[in-house]
Order: sequence, then C-alpha cells, then structure tokens
Amino acid sequence: MQTVTSLTGAFPRSQALVEATRDLDRGRTTAEAVQELFAQAEADVGGIEERLGLEPRAGGYLRWQDLFRPFAETWEGFTVGPLTRWFETNQFFRQPILHAPPARVPGAIGGWLPPKAPGAPHPRKAILPGPYTFAGLVDNRSGETAEALTHRLGRLLGEEVHELRAAGYSAFQFQEPLLVARPPEGARAEGVVAAYKAISAAANGGTTAVWTYFGDARPAWPLLSRLPVSVVGVDLSETDALELPPTSERRGLGLGVIDPRTSLVEDPSEVVRLARAIVERHRPISLWVGSGAPLDLLPWESATRKLHGLPAVRQGLESTDGGT
Amino acid sequence: MTTRLFPTQEIGSLMKPRWQLLGQRGEALDTAAQTDFARWNDVLHFVPGDDPMVRKFLGDKSREVGADTVRDWAALFMLRYFEAAGLDRVYDGEARRIEMYEYPIRQMRGFQFLGHVRSFDNKYYLKAAGTGEVRLDHPYHVDEFEFVRAHARGAAKLPITGPYTLADWSYNEYYLRRHEGWKGREVRRRAQREFVVEIARKAIRPTLAALIEKGCRIIQIDEPAGGTHPQEAEVVAEGFNAATEGLDAEFSMHVCFSDYRSLFPALLEAKRCKQWALEFANRDTDGRDGYEVLRILKEYGDTREVGLGVLDVHRDEVESPERVKDRILRASKILGDPRRIWVNPDCGLRTRSLDIAYAKLQNMDRGAALARAELAGPA
Repeated sequence: MQTVTSLTGAFPRSQALVEATRDLDRGRTTAEAVQELFAQAEADVGGIEERLGLEPRAGGYLRWQDLFRPFAETWEGFTVGPLTRWFETNQFFRQPILHAPPARVPGAIGGWLPPKAPGAPHPRKAILPGPYTFAGLVDNRSGETAEALTHRLGRLLGEEVHELRAAGYSAFQFQEPLLVARPPEGARAEGVVAAYKAISAAANGGTTAVWTYFGDARPAWPLLSRLPVSVVGVDLSETDALELPPTSERRGLGLGVIDPRTSLVEDPSEVVRLARAIVERHRPISLWVGSGAPLDLLPWESATRKLHGLPAVRQGLESTDGGT
Repeated sequence: MTTRLFPTQEIGSLMKPRWQLLGQRGEALDTAAQTDFARWNDVLHFVPGDDPMVRKFLGDKSREVGADTVRDWAALFMLRYFEAAGLDRVYDGEARRIEMYEYPIRQMRGFQFLGHVRSFDNKYYLKAAGTGEVRLDHPYHVDEFEFVRAHARGAAKLPITGPYTLADWSYNEYYLRRHEGWKGREVRRRAQREFVVEIARKAIRPTLAALIEKGCRIIQIDEPAGGTHPQEAEVVAEGFNAATEGLDAEFSMHVCFSDYRSLFPALLEAKRCKQWALEFANRDTDGRDGYEVLRILKEYGDTREVGLGVLDVHRDEVESPERVKDRILRASKILGDPRRIWVNPDCGLRTRSLDIAYAKLQNMDRGAALARAELAGPA
C-alpha cells in the first residue's frame, strides 16, 4: 500500500503577508511589494513540503481569497456576492452569484494555482472546489436546477483538469465539505456521480481525490463509495472511519488526521494506531494522509508545527506495511 | 429613555482614525492625519480647538500629548460622531479596545496568543489558545464606561464580547486536553461547553457585575460566533445565562452572519436577553427578502425587541433613507409590532471608512424618520 502525505488545502498566510495584505487594503503599501511577499511565502510553503516529504506538491493557495473566488472572478456568468459564513468556522467567503449558465475561460484558473517550485520536478496536485460544493454554495440565479448545475460544473472542472493535466499536474483534489455537511439525495446525488464521471474521464490517468471535511462522512458514504475517483478523503475529527463500511471497490482512502480547529498537536503514535485500525478495516490500495480541513484555520506557525508530525505518521504506517 | 418608534443604536466598533493610531504610538501626525482631525473637529466639536494640547497635537509637538489623551479624544470623537449621526443609544466606537476578541482575552489568564488567522479576504484576527484555567485579571471596560457615562449626551449602551465567541475564536487546548483519547466531534463539543461556561463565570460575569456597579444599565453581549455551530446554540444560551446570572441590567445579544433559523428555538433559552440585535442587510434583496427570517420569532411566539440590521457593513454603497425605511417597514410588518424594533447597522462599521460609515449612519437616522412618518400617516 502506498502512503502519501500531502497538503490538502489552503495554507495560512505568513505574518509578513498578513501585515502586507492589511497594509495594501489601507493604502500603505504597493501591490508589487505584496506580490513579492506572496512569492516568498509560496516558496516557504514549498520548502515545508520539501522538508516534510509532502508529495504530490500542492502549494499553499495563499493568493486565493476563498475557494471560489478565482472562479467567480474569471469564469463567465458569475459575480462576487455577499460575505457568507464558511461552514462552522469563523471564516467567511463571498458567495458567488450565478446569473447565467457558467462558462470557463481557458487558462484562467491555471494562473491562480501556486507556482511550480524550482529545482527537480515533483508530482503536483491541483486543489479545486468540488462540483457539488460549488453548485450548492453559489447563489444560483441561472435558471438551471441544482443537479444540472452540479453536472455542468463537473464538465467544466473536467475541462480544467484536462488543461492542467497537459500542464503537468498529476493529481486533482476536489474539496467537497458540502457532501458531508449536507449530503445530496436522489437526483442531486446522481448529478454528483455524473459530475465526477466527467472529471474522471478528463483526468486521463491522473489521480482524482474527493476530500470531505466539516462533517461526518457516514451518511454520505454510500454515495462517496460510488464516485469514480481514485481517493476519498474523510475528516477524522468528524468521522469515525472505523464505522464506515468497507467498499467493494478497491481504491485509495484519505485520512484527515490533523485537526486545524485545535492548536493541540496530534500525537503521531495515536494517529498511527487509529490509521492502522482503519487500514485494517478498509484495505485501501493507497492511503493519503493530511489535514482534515484546510490548515488556514490556524496561524502559520501552528500549522507548520502540526504538519511536522506527518513524517512520523508516514513512517509509522509504512513500517506496518513492510516498508512499501 | 426614548419613547419614539424605531429608535436607533450603533452595534460596535468604528475604524480608528489615523491620527489616533499615530498619536497613540507617539508618532508625529502627517498632514493627512492633521487635516482629518481638524475636519472632523469642525463637524463634531469633540475637543476645544483652542485647547493648548490640541494645538500641540496639530502642530509639531504631537508626540508630547501622550497616548492616554489621544485615546480620550478618540473616545470623545466617536461618541460625538454617533450622536451627530442622530443615534439614540451610543458608545465610544470601542476606541480604546484592540478588536473585540484580543482586548478581553488580554485581561484574562489562561490564554496564549499564537498568531493571526484569516477571517475573510485580507481581514485577520490574532488568535489565542486557552492553555490553562480561565482567570480574570481584573474587570475590564469599566474605565471606558465611566468615561462614556461622563460625556454621553444620551443613553450609553456598552458592547462586550460574549463567552461563546471568546471560546469559539480561541483554540481550546486546556479543556480539550482533559479528555482522553481521540479528539473527535463529541469530545470537542463537551470540552467547548466547559470552556464557554468557565469564561462566562470566571471572566464575563465579574466584569458585568463591576460595570453594573458603576451604573451601566444597557449591555449588548456580542456573540458574532453564536451562529457558527448551530448545534451548539444551546451552549450560546447557556453561556449568556451564566454570564448574566443574578445581574440586573438591560441585556441584548448580537449575533451576525448566521443562519438564524438554525439557532432557534435553542437561543430562546437566553432568559435575560431583552433584545436580539441581528444582521439582515447583508442578505437583503430588492424584494426585502433578507428580513423574512424574522418570521421565526413569530413562529416561536417570541416577543422580545429586535435590533434590526439595516446597513450592510461590508459594502461602501450608502443605503438611501428610502431603502432603510423600506427595510424597517418590512420588518415591522413581519413582526406585527413596530414598537419592538430598534434600528442599527448589521454589525460594527469598523471595516468602512469613517466618511462612509457616517453617511450610512446619517441615512439610517433619516430612514428611521421616514418610517416613523409613514406609520404616522398624513399630518
């Protein structure tokens, strides 16, 4: 079994970036100066990934104001709407308002992804909004039904995946907190399956992952088990994965073992014990280990401190697996 | 006490003027800060222009004035700002506080600041971890309240951050660590309840008691995090009750940017809460749909006052008096009793410039007057 440790979402901004972006809003610095700091912080995140052996490389998504903003600002059909609470956190996103069926602008999203780290090439992972979460959280005034929109966004994200695959990305992770916070049923669930079929077809051999967090995955597990993706990730702070029924199809399992809602650092040995039991039950072909929810719920230093436990977790899991 | 319909109030903090920030740091005022100070003083007359200290401040000796005097001036400025905008209940725009979270936490023991966390866009807050038992160093906001009481021309309403928000905006290490094993959802929830109630009992209640002792009669308990975890709405109410237990004052609760439907009826258990001060304008549409959620109070038979958010605090667009009026009248119709409505911004206006916030507040006052006139009918 392959064990992968990787970033699973946006990383916190560094203190220097916090101050610079605040100053930018207050007219006390220039956009150019802030861009330099973004580049520095992106390099720092790359350094953390390098040191801790986090791969595929994801980068920090430091420039993204929220999960949807690059889409809401670049794809056609959207405007940026009101401030809206981001699930059960003290973060907010600006709800995209969809006025017409959306259309992607080729190349637009690629420009928003974290830059490639210099030096030897590493496998890269793009982290994108999942079609169900995207469709479910926009203010949909397009006239399309929610399930049709989910399917359409799946096709558009598939086109994005196709483009990014050509640009060298090998893995694609879709953020789907809404799948577990508000599991779909009936036609909406079928819309989700159809969306991921479109994405999977476009991945052309690349790895696809659905990452769930902010909710218990158990109610959505029958649907998650049907999604044609390489990996399904669950947030262990919300889900008792030992109670999830093993799926008949052999595929990868993602475990969100770091909880960014607390600054307490997880004990690697406790994580390994739990993960081993879960692996024993589910027998995944690969195990992806990372944070449940994105780490930007923590300050930079705290996030980094918590991530430092991942190499020990990986080693602990590999040792039980015969070192593979 | 106001008896007119649709009285107005502020909700929280204002943006600190540049002259205050520079002055508190002992830095010389630049031309823009000097001009800003003088311009607002011409409008509000918050300090005598011929005061030698003011002349020093606006001259080349601003560093000699001292941080305490600058803070007093800032508090007076904001007090007069609200009063000039026509508000019935005022405070000092939280001029002396470092945000609504950091300031109270710094008055307590058992916390350690870890760093900044993003709230949205380029907005962040400094977040602490609860690392030990909660203890209060000394009751806070007391000096600022006494200053406001001494200078306010109308009723003073003190805002104070509630126990649930202080707990939710902190990392809970101490109470979580006391629970053995994997820190799953249920463990986190139990530890959170302990954290909230301890903050309420050990820090907020003694502070409220000290404020009431000094004559504070109207207190807004701010729970902007109150809607973060709907399944914990009962903990929000429990924290409110623990903080106010045995205290005699007029308490309100401010909750914003939340799905209110998910909070009720649990929140109704906050027994000593006289007014719900809520945000609506942010979610409003041309059809005034943002106010429909008020029906929930009717559904549960709750007849408390509503602090009605009519100003979107995250947009520069200044709401017209007519739009404010429409919002008030829509809410009034839904509640079926205009006497229950207080009119306010959705939240504190500190994310807007002082000019924009002032224009918004003035139009809020005008809108309330239009609503009053419309209900009164032709003279």
